[in-house]
Amino acid sequence: MRTNEDVLRSLMIDGLDGDAAAHTTLLRLLVPLLRGFYRRRVRGADDDVEDLVQETLIAVHTRRATYDWDRAFTAWVFAIARYKMVDHFRRAGRLRPIDDLEETLIADDFEAAAIARLDIDDLLAGLPPKQARMIRATRIDGLSVAEAASADGIGESDVKISVHRGLKALIARVQRPAQ
Amino acid sequence: MKTDDLILSLARDTRPIRRDAIRRRIAAGLIAGGIVSAVFIAFSIGLRPDLWLAMQGAAFWMKWGYTLSLSAAAMAMTVQLARPDSDRVRGLWLTAVPVILLAGIGLIELALTPRADWLAMWLGHSWQACPLIVFTLSIPIFGGLLWSFRSLAPTRLRAAGAAAGLLAGAFSATIYCVHCPEVSAVFVLTWYSLGILLTTLLGTLLGPRLLRW
Repeated sequence: MRTNEDVLRSLMIDGLDGDAAAHTTLLRLLVPLLRGFYRRRVRGADDDVEDLVQETLIAVHTRRATYDWDRAFTAWVFAIARYKMVDHFRRAGRLRPIDDLEETLIADDFEAAAIARLDIDDLLAGLPPKQARMIRATRIDGLSVAEAASADGIGESDVKISVHRGLKALIARVQRPAQ
Repeated sequence: MKTDDLILSLARDTRPIRRDAIRRRIAAGLIAGGIVSAVFIAFSIGLRPDLWLAMQGAAFWMKWGYTLSLSAAAMAMTVQLARPDSDRVRGLWLTAVPVILLAGIGLIELALTPRADWLAMWLGHSWQACPLIVFTLSIPIFGGLLWSFRSLAPTRLRAAGAAAGLLAGAFSATIYCVHCPEVSAVFVLTWYSLGILLTTLLGTLLGPRLLRW
């Protein structure tokens, strides 16, 4: 299943209606998102990251009454994740006064990046698989054309053409007025 | 514990949650604390003997109008600050409305009263006790709100503490009205508000400590 805002939000709402299966799926989908969030900010052991992920999952579960159905779900989750991270730093003594929490909690770029990634996933999903794969390899993961070609077992010109056609299709799609 | 086991054990208690759960949770803490305060009044300083008669007069409703509308505005803010993604709080200006209206009534009152009686009207019979009683009665209510917050997720702890303090103070003043015999708007505007302000201050100071989760 693709993880995007709409999917997560509708799982959340089903969970709030008492659907345990939807709630389980939601918590599972949050795990990689949260790991990514903490890994790039907490320079600690993997144990620390996993502790934070678990603490955040518990908070998401026990405090899910605080989700406002009319607002973005990812913003809500990352607000909790940020709070837990600041709390973690404070306990670790690196960021002492909790009084300054408000300044520290100002949204940082990760949320925007995560949402952008979800948007990219959405866009790439509309392309033929090879074009999507090649754009991801060369433009997002940062491989060279030669590396991408050998990784996929195709020719370099094939990579270039796929990227070129794929990007053209994406541009056309983004420029088309929303239906 | 493995993360996946954690998820399964969490999901085992997936109870349905109403959309207005925050409001209900805060109202529950507010009312539970309010009952404690009301019982405390009844067994200490007592209800005012003419309560029933007073409830048919305008002065009583002026006081309740002030404290209840202030409570409602504080409630609206507390609900917003109970959410983790509460970066912008809307409706802060609503708390000013009751104050401005009461100040308007106070001005009219002063205009209709001879200057020589102003001081007596302002100080009433109980100006020394009133703020402290409002403050004291607000403590069980603030305690009730702390209980409410146990399943909520404030991230701006100082602001959330202040809003909860304001709510506790305004509701405490509402309850105090069943004892307080004062009738003047300038009295209420000064001494009630002072008590409510003290409670707000308490919440602001304690919020970062007590609302952590």
